[in-house]
Amino acid sequence: MNTAVVAEITGEITYLGYGLAAIGPGIGVGLIFAAYINGVARQPEARGMLQTIAFTGMALTEALAILGLVFVFVFQG
Amino acid sequence: MSLSVVPAHWLQGGLSAADEEGFQAPGIESFWWPLIGSDTSNWTLTRPAFVVMASVVIIGFFFLAVAGKLTVVPSKRQWVAEQAYGFVRNTIARDVIGAKDFRPFVPLLMTLFTLILFNNVMGILPFVQFPSMSRIAFPIVLTLIVYVVYHTVGLRRKHGVVGYLKSLVPPGLPVWLRPIMFFLEFLTYFIIRPLTLALRLFGNMLAGHLMLLVFILGGEYLLVHGSNLFVQASGILGLAFGIVMTFFELLVQFLQAFIFTLLSALYISDAVSEEH
Amino acid sequence: MVLAPVKAAEDVGWPEALPLLPHPAEIVIGIIAFGILYWIFSRKVVPRMEAMYEERAAAIEGGMAQAEQAQAEARAALEKYNAQLAEARTEANEIRESAREQGASIVAEMRSQAQSEASRITESAQRQVEAERQQAVVQLRQEVGSLSTSLASKIVGESLEDEVRQKGIVDRFLAELETGEVTPEKVAPAGRET
Repeated sequence: MNTAVVAEITGEITYLGYGLAAIGPGIGVGLIFAAYINGVARQPEARGMLQTIAFTGMALTEALAILGLVFVFVFQG
Repeated sequence: MSLSVVPAHWLQGGLSAADEEGFQAPGIESFWWPLIGSDTSNWTLTRPAFVVMASVVIIGFFFLAVAGKLTVVPSKRQWVAEQAYGFVRNTIARDVIGAKDFRPFVPLLMTLFTLILFNNVMGILPFVQFPSMSRIAFPIVLTLIVYVVYHTVGLRRKHGVVGYLKSLVPPGLPVWLRPIMFFLEFLTYFIIRPLTLALRLFGNMLAGHLMLLVFILGGEYLLVHGSNLFVQASGILGLAFGIVMTFFELLVQFLQAFIFTLLSALYISDAVSEEH
Repeated sequence: MVLAPVKAAEDVGWPEALPLLPHPAEIVIGIIAFGILYWIFSRKVVPRMEAMYEERAAAIEGGMAQAEQAQAEARAALEKYNAQLAEARTEANEIRESAREQGASIVAEMRSQAQSEASRITESAQRQVEAERQQAVVQLRQEVGSLSTSLASKIVGESLEDEVRQKGIVDRFLAELETGEVTPEKVAPAGRET
């Protein structure tokens, strides 16, 4: 059984994992800001309140991506 | 004790490695840059620490100079300071915390905003080009301060530990949902919020600077060591894209300073507000 | 791209340590930096900025009061000016009216003056004419008297030397002629016959 190495990829699998993990929060943050823009477009006077809510939601959603970033470094090697 | 412009381990590992096995991609070790001291010591004076101290001196002198001779009709320098101050005071503090309670938190938010913004912009300022917030220690310090502040304010406003913990659960929930909600809110308030606050800033700065390093070092490597014209042209393309990304970084840097300050204000306003 | 595996910081040192591991010196420097900057902002910058904001608000309010005052002054000045303008306008009207009246009266005066002058001239002319006529009548009467007496004396042969008598006869005759008691006799046919 001879296995010839045609192409070899070396590196951290965790980076790949983080790339995949960032998809979800990316979509989530996009949805939040889409809704925020919609809301502001419909009711410009509610901007201040919506901004607070949007950033709270973004902080929550992005927390997942940031946890992923932590795990990249923690599970390296 | 060695005073070095380029970190010693770059000279040891990086260049020899480049000769032997090709391009050495920039990594986390690129962010370690001691000025005085050894690699293993816990008390090494690093370059980002030096940048932070310098930034304190510069920001402090600038604002002290402006505050020393304030006039009703602003001069050019005062106008710049007033823009920053007005932005933090009105857009962030007053709009988020509320007109009633925002006054005592203005210095805190102002310190956070100017310190983060200045140190972020240091990431693309020529001859400095090191975002000190990409060293986790500084975001952790700032986050710890915000963490302590908003919990202290919450404990004071909501009548002690029990009242504060009770206030975590939104009113009007069915009984069976309350423990779950309490657990989630507790996690949010005590773990997720500080963790994300610090790591968001750190991650953005680290990733942004790493990206610039990849484009510029990679472009330079392709240009210098490229075997044919096509590779060298792509090296130039990489360098050009590095310049474009530098301006994108400027946007990100401002945005991160803004978001850090805004979220700090948001957490404080949660602690200050009576309901919830 | 191979990154060195994570090892404890004590083994390889900080360059390859876990990036999430804060460097103690940096933490200390961070805390000191934040402390200094916070002290500067809370003690020096923010109070002065707030004071300046209040001062500016006061200045703006003062400026607004001043502006209002200036506006009121301007309005008063405008009203005054308008009043003056109206006054001047009525005055001009009055002057124009009086001038017209004056002109009319001057014209009328001149006219009446001219008329009276004309009437005076005509009157004096008439008087002169009358006087001349009177004179002519008197002269004529004398000549007619003397002529007729001489004629009559020639015819009658009687000399009427007495001037007074002669005059009285002629006068009486003429008076009778005027009153119509005596119709004048035709002289010419007689004359023609002679």
